[in-house]
Amino acid sequence: MSDRKLPRLLQTPAVLLLLVWMLVPLGMTLYFSFIRYVLNSLRRPEWTTPSLSNWRGFGNYEFVLKSKDFVLAIQNSLFIVCSILFLTVILGILIAVLINKSFPGQGIVRVLLISPFFVMPAVNAVLWINMILDPVLGLQGIAVAGINDLLEGLRQMPVLGGFFSLWPEFEPISFRATQTSAIAVIMMVTWQWTPFAVLIFMTSLQSEDQQQKEAAVLDGAGTWSQFRFLTLPHLGRPIAIVVMIQAIFHLSLYAEIEIVSRGNGNKNLPYLIGEFANNNIGAASATGIFAVILANIVAIFLLRMVGKTLME
Amino acid sequence: MGRIVLDQVSKRFGDVEVIPPLDLTIEDGEFAVFVGPSGCGKSTLLRMIAGLEDLTSGNIEIDGENVTEVPPSKRGLAMVFQSYALYPHMTVRKNIGFPLRMEKMEQAEIDKRVETAAQSLNLVDYLDRKPGQLSGGQRQRVAIGRAIVRDPSAFLFDEPLSNLDAALRVGMRLEISEMHERMRTTMIYVTHDQVEAMTMANKIVVLQAGRIEQVGSPLDLYHKPQNVFVAGFIGSPKMNIFSGPEAEKHGAHTIGIRPEHTDVSMTEGTWEGRVGVAEHLGSDTFIHVHDTGLADMVTVRITGDISVKHGDKIFLTPRADQIHRFDAQGQRIA
Ligand SMILES: Nc1ncnc2c1ncn2[C@@H]1O[C@H](COP(=O)(O)OP(=O)(O)O)[C@@H](O)[C@H]1O
Ligand SMILES: [Mg+2]
Repeated sequence: MSDRKLPRLLQTPAVLLLLVWMLVPLGMTLYFSFIRYVLNSLRRPEWTTPSLSNWRGFGNYEFVLKSKDFVLAIQNSLFIVCSILFLTVILGILIAVLINKSFPGQGIVRVLLISPFFVMPAVNAVLWINMILDPVLGLQGIAVAGINDLLEGLRQMPVLGGFFSLWPEFEPISFRATQTSAIAVIMMVTWQWTPFAVLIFMTSLQSEDQQQKEAAVLDGAGTWSQFRFLTLPHLGRPIAIVVMIQAIFHLSLYAEIEIVSRGNGNKNLPYLIGEFANNNIGAASATGIFAVILANIVAIFLLRMVGKTLME
Repeated sequence: MGRIVLDQVSKRFGDVEVIPPLDLTIEDGEFAVFVGPSGCGKSTLLRMIAGLEDLTSGNIEIDGENVTEVPPSKRGLAMVFQSYALYPHMTVRKNIGFPLRMEKMEQAEIDKRVETAAQSLNLVDYLDRKPGQLSGGQRQRVAIGRAIVRDPSAFLFDEPLSNLDAALRVGMRLEISEMHERMRTTMIYVTHDQVEAMTMANKIVVLQAGRIEQVGSPLDLYHKPQNVFVAGFIGSPKMNIFSGPEAEKHGAHTIGIRPEHTDVSMTEGTWEGRVGVAEHLGSDTFIHVHDTGLADMVTVRITGDISVKHGDKIFLTPRADQIHRFDAQGQRIA
């Protein structure tokens, strides 16, 4: 036992630091979520300092649950995170498998592929919503206008014109609207995070055993079977890693939502917390606790799913 | 069935000609061993037969059919790799059944065949384990099982035993020989270990730098090595080979004498030398003799035990009818 003590002792500061690091913010959040605590109140100035005498029990939680945006925020959080995960994993695997073969210009292609990951989220959002998705000035607007012009030209043709005049005029989509802003966020974050998935999957593909592949070729496995029975199970763990890390990151998306629609019809939990935190710290903290619970549920659920489907 | 004919087969990797054009026929039911030093192209040749490597030129026929352009899975061959190449995420049962599943065979039939193969390889208790939970020898058996279930026209083995420890290696060697006796299917076996070659083969193909040095039965190679390379490669301990005045006495550029074909005396003999290291194996003794004036070291092998000390004077007498003679090109003089 005695020779165990010294290492334990030496570990203590690190462990303590970690505990403090995690427990203090969590504890404060829990504490605030059970008291009335607002930043500004002319009517009840005593609420502006955190104190146990302002105890509210589960009142903050009830308030949050009843607020009109809460269910929407949960749904939106899940919808955005799951869509991004699904898209980045599929795109990541496809691209990684494609560029894993050697071809001329491989190095440059790989650097270019990784580059979106180095764009700041806010910049990414501004670029996408203004320069790409904008219905008038963005690429989308220009493309739709171009197609409409082309159609207009075709309608003037002598014989086929009659056929083309049956075609409708194309309408550009506004991605700042209530129904579409979540889609815009999904697109821009997918663009930014696919490189991360590609990077992780590519590393993993390079460690794949080539003799296994050859054995499979001799066993009569075609390209698809090799992918399905060797490559995909081999990627199981990296997929789990990509899913976990991204789930954690994207549950806390904020900048993109702020920039695309200022939360108009498209709130997620962090955005809701931000709104509450303008004044009502108690409600914001309660929402924060809900977010922690949601993150854990999502993480466990996703890990189970990835584990089950890939490891056969 | 499984008669394999290589016709002017050659292979280059870029500018390097790894295998110059060669001809070789392996008869149906034969156990052929490709043996040679590391890097001589044995694996490359085997992989060309399997279809994993394209030919630079030439043709390969299996049972009279030209398979040069036929994809690997359609050649009816099964291969066992040095690293076993088992599928790590599948159980032993799935591993063995994989080739059948790829053939879209019915599950019931797959189960039956896997069961039969597992029984013959003593794997029944391990069917539901993953390869990571098996010992080296068991993995090797799974790899063999995966080859057997396909009922191939020939088996290809690429150094299948080199990852096993010495005791297991001897055991598996016997099992593979036994399997060949039972199934009588053509087998091509690649190894750099001449003991494996000698003990297992019907036909040994000695390769050096991609060229065939000699093809023959183990005893052919032992008694009539066609050149100096084969003489030095086959047999353990190695044949003593020397050129110079002693060789000229026998009308040759180079002569060779096997350690076991040299008689030893402490008092008289043809060559005189000094004992270096003596290795006592109990059944045999290998004595390394120095200062004979013939070569750096001459090895002799004596049945039973003999008491000699380091530095003792010793006399060697080669048996005249066992001296191998070679000309200046290293070819055997009949
Ligand atoms: N894919 C390859 N590309 C280039 N050279 C290769 C390749 N595969 C094998 N070689 C070369 O071919 C020679 C024979 O290799 P190999 O058949 O593996 O030898 P062995 O199995 O007899 O040890 C070696 O010199 C090796 O470096
Ligand atoms: Mg080899």
